[in-house]
Amino acid sequence: MPEETPSTPAPQAPAHQAPSHHSGGPSGPRPGGAGARPAGPRRGKRNFVRKKKVCRFCVEKIDLIDYKKPEILQTFVQERGKILPRRMTGTCARHQRWLTVAIKRAQNIALLPFASEL
Amino acid sequence: MEERLYDLIFICRPDTPETEIDKLIATLQHAVDEKQAKLEKVEKWGVRRLAYRVKKLRDGFFVYMMLRSTHGELLKELERRLHVSDAVVKYLTIRLDEEIKRRQKLSKRRERRAARRPRKTAPAPAAPATPAPEQAAANG
Repeated sequence: MPEETPSTPAPQAPAHQAPSHHSGGPSGPRPGGAGARPAGPRRGKRNFVRKKKVCRFCVEKIDLIDYKKPEILQTFVQERGKILPRRMTGTCARHQRWLTVAIKRAQNIALLPFASEL
Repeated sequence: MEERLYDLIFICRPDTPETEIDKLIATLQHAVDEKQAKLEKVEKWGVRRLAYRVKKLRDGFFVYMMLRSTHGELLKELERRLHVSDAVVKYLTIRLDEEIKRRQKLSKRRERRAARRPRKTAPAPAAPATPAPEQAAANG
């Protein structure tokens, strides 16, 4: 038990910083960067409560993600046609896997764009 | 060979007369019948906007069909026909049966879970539950 208590706050700290830094790209500050911060309780603006995202397909109990419904798939795609990552949409791993397949199928029959033209 | 379920979608030029599309569907139907396969569904979705340009077209007439076949060559034959046809600009066949099997398995498991624990109506997906013990093991 004593080993667990110091290890748990460490992964939490970057998780809270993630949204502010992550817009720059995938290479955000790693957990090592959190160590440079003064020790003690986190305070300041960074400390905010985030809403827990849940997998939409789990909630609605959809087992088969239909590639023939671009309206649904559209919500998991960026404006330019990129597939949104799990951390943005809250989709569970399993459904994300199926979702990407469905999106790629829809792209293949021109129901969804590969990259929308401007 | 066991029976397999396929989806077949093709897109025609939007300016093709509907009679011609019907004719095309009839020829496909004929090929399907020849192989003792079954056409489960035929849907004409009508003219839809394409997400990107295909052969310089922005719209297309979508036809969707679902078929059940034991012969894989049938799909090859259908695709060949679609490829040859002038009206068709794009087509896609997808094998569906495995996915449907997976879906049935999942829904069955959900039912079983619901029966076992009636108070918890929404069972958590397996994915988030599994990493927890691993993490605890790594910490300890």
